Amino acid sequence: MRMKKMFRILLTSAFITALMLTGCGKTTDVDKTETSGTTSGTKETTQTSSEPAVTKIVIFQSKVEIVDQLKALAAEYQKEKGIEVEVWETTGDDYLQQLKIRLGNNQGPTLFSLAPGSESEDLKAYLADLSDLSFVSGIAENMADEKDGKVVGIPYTVEGFGVVYNKNLIDASKVTTADEFISMLKEQQGAGVNGFSLSQESYFLIGHILNTPFALQEDPKTFVEQLIVGEVTMQETEEFIEFAKVMEAVREYTNNPLEVTYDKETGDFATGKSASIHQGNWAYGMFADYDVDFEMAMMPLPISGNDSLAVSVPAGWYVNSQVSEAEIQAGKDFLEWLYTSETGKRYITEEFGFIPVVEGIESSELDPLSQAVNEFTAAGKTIPWPMNSYWPAGIVDVYLVPVAQEFFTTEMTGEEFLVKLTEAFVQAGQNQ
Amino acid sequence: MNRKSDRAWYALFVLPLIFVFTTVVIIPFLIGIGYSFVSWDGLPLNEKVFVGMNNYIRLFSDKRFLSSITHTLLFTVLAVVIINVLGLTFALIVTSQLKTRNIARTMLFMPYLIGGLILGFIWRFIFTDVFKAVGEATGWTKVFFSWLLNGDYALIALVIVMTWQMAGYIMIIYITGIQAIPDDVVEAAKVDGAGFWPMLLRVKFPLIMPSFTISLFMTLSNSFKIYDVNVSLTQGGPNNATEMLAMNIYNEIFSLNNYGYGQAKAIVFFIAVAFITLIQVSLTKKKEVVM
Repeated sequence: MRMKKMFRILLTSAFITALMLTGCGKTTDVDKTETSGTTSGTKETTQTSSEPAVTKIVIFQSKVEIVDQLKALAAEYQKEKGIEVEVWETTGDDYLQQLKIRLGNNQGPTLFSLAPGSESEDLKAYLADLSDLSFVSGIAENMADEKDGKVVGIPYTVEGFGVVYNKNLIDASKVTTADEFISMLKEQQGAGVNGFSLSQESYFLIGHILNTPFALQEDPKTFVEQLIVGEVTMQETEEFIEFAKVMEAVREYTNNPLEVTYDKETGDFATGKSASIHQGNWAYGMFADYDVDFEMAMMPLPISGNDSLAVSVPAGWYVNSQVSEAEIQAGKDFLEWLYTSETGKRYITEEFGFIPVVEGIESSELDPLSQAVNEFTAAGKTIPWPMNSYWPAGIVDVYLVPVAQEFFTTEMTGEEFLVKLTEAFVQAGQNQ
Repeated sequence: MNRKSDRAWYALFVLPLIFVFTTVVIIPFLIGIGYSFVSWDGLPLNEKVFVGMNNYIRLFSDKRFLSSITHTLLFTVLAVVIINVLGLTFALIVTSQLKTRNIARTMLFMPYLIGGLILGFIWRFIFTDVFKAVGEATGWTKVFFSWLLNGDYALIALVIVMTWQMAGYIMIIYITGIQAIPDDVVEAAKVDGAGFWPMLLRVKFPLIMPSFTISLFMTLSNSFKIYDVNVSLTQGGPNNATEMLAMNIYNEIFSLNNYGYGQAKAIVFFIAVAFITLIQVSLTKKKEVVM
């Protein structure tokens, strides 16, 4: 009797242990493949550090548009070099949070991406020195991310944004001032076409478009600093007043951006329902699903005489400095291969569709929007992205979006809008 | 012998749970209290600066946090009342002689099986696209417009989705309570001439008091802690009108990188929720009757 009971207890506990173990195994699996969520199970990266030879590296990066191509590239790399490359996926929305959690728990990837600027500044302690990669000297001027004199970030590409327009509906040479832009909106509305469109997602609602008046300041960095301490305000700065005027017109003469998603914005443009959208060359891939029967191009957002596109490096490759020496080297080897081997170069230009920024990589065929970015860059007509470099971290989602939502759902004036945006900068800046 | 094996069984079931609970709840909670006194951006290699009670003092002048408390309270009151009233009504209906009661139970419970995130996305589509389309088709634009663009309506939308999800679950709890009422008590009341309302208020309600305790506790704490529906339905917008506490804390920590300050908010949040739910449980417990 007693034996029987003991046996039963043993059996049950064995069963429970087995259950727990399999349960744990599953969590790890799920975690590796899941696209979002905040759990983080045990990662194999921590285990590889104790092994002498690195057989696997992990990539975690924010550009969702290139994930499929990146996976194909990973397979090629394994074929050529015998090192497994695992690509963690993300939905893009919470990439940075995910990355920080993983880095913080010492379960970080080998290679990851960041936007050069305040993001890479925050994570400075986690960035390995990449200065000794052979192609670093060939990176276009000011494009590599340097910290304390060392190159830590390799640019993906350059991207530019502005007003993407339908050449059949808009003549860019007639839209070079804010007033002309506004009368264009009215005309299009009269013709039954939506003249211009933003979309509800944070950067597409307010981030990108607000970047322009900042970039037009003589010294955007000082301007942001002065704005935060209250020495200057938007409502007293000319570029912002013009910006607000344009935004009022957008609210009055076009559809409400809060009801427009990124997909709808690009879809309406591709089907000719919108004459122009505020977008960048990255959006071209969205049009592949449509039979676009018109020519498109990109023009500057014409406020305060702006004749330039906002062009900068959206993201760079960084190597995690907290993994083993061997793994850091493996990460660097991958970058070296990506930027110098034939396969790697082909992926950058053809598969990812990037505008190359490293010497020795030429792109034969660019889509029309990248073409526009390239032309403006060649002509020196570019403005920077203070939104990545100088704005307080997290400000767009947490502070600017609510203000923009209020602007688009109420009758507030452009000046009130600027006052609230200024307040948002003061609050966000002082909380840092 | 018996006692000994009882204890072994007890340990077998309780110890793993205690282990898990300690490692994933108690220890992180204690560490979290520690973090609430520092200013830190959450990255282990970056500096932590001890700021004492400053994080807690800052809370009281944080307008956004205070308004998010108001939204959460309003949301909780609305959600708790509506969920419980509906849950109880459903429970009374499906325990009656209704022919379709089994089907009805299943259907009412169904929404609970869909995760909050998915529900939020489904309803987001309904509240924006469907409502707008209905409004344009019928001309009743006063009711059918994009609800999520108006702060007050967005909050109500949140309550509706939460109710849609939780009411079926709460119904199950009430059903168990109602089915546990002994038939003889009900019959005795009937013989004494009790109508529908006296029966409900004087006989049934006191006897299902334990269900009230559980249901109120569940809805109260779940409404306070709502995050998934919040994220997928409104993302806190428009203009922060639906930014609930959990989301406010998440934003503070993960978007603005203020780990210490966000942690202080979380501790205050925990104390408030614990306090309110404990009061509720002790109040309703007192009303429970022993048969």
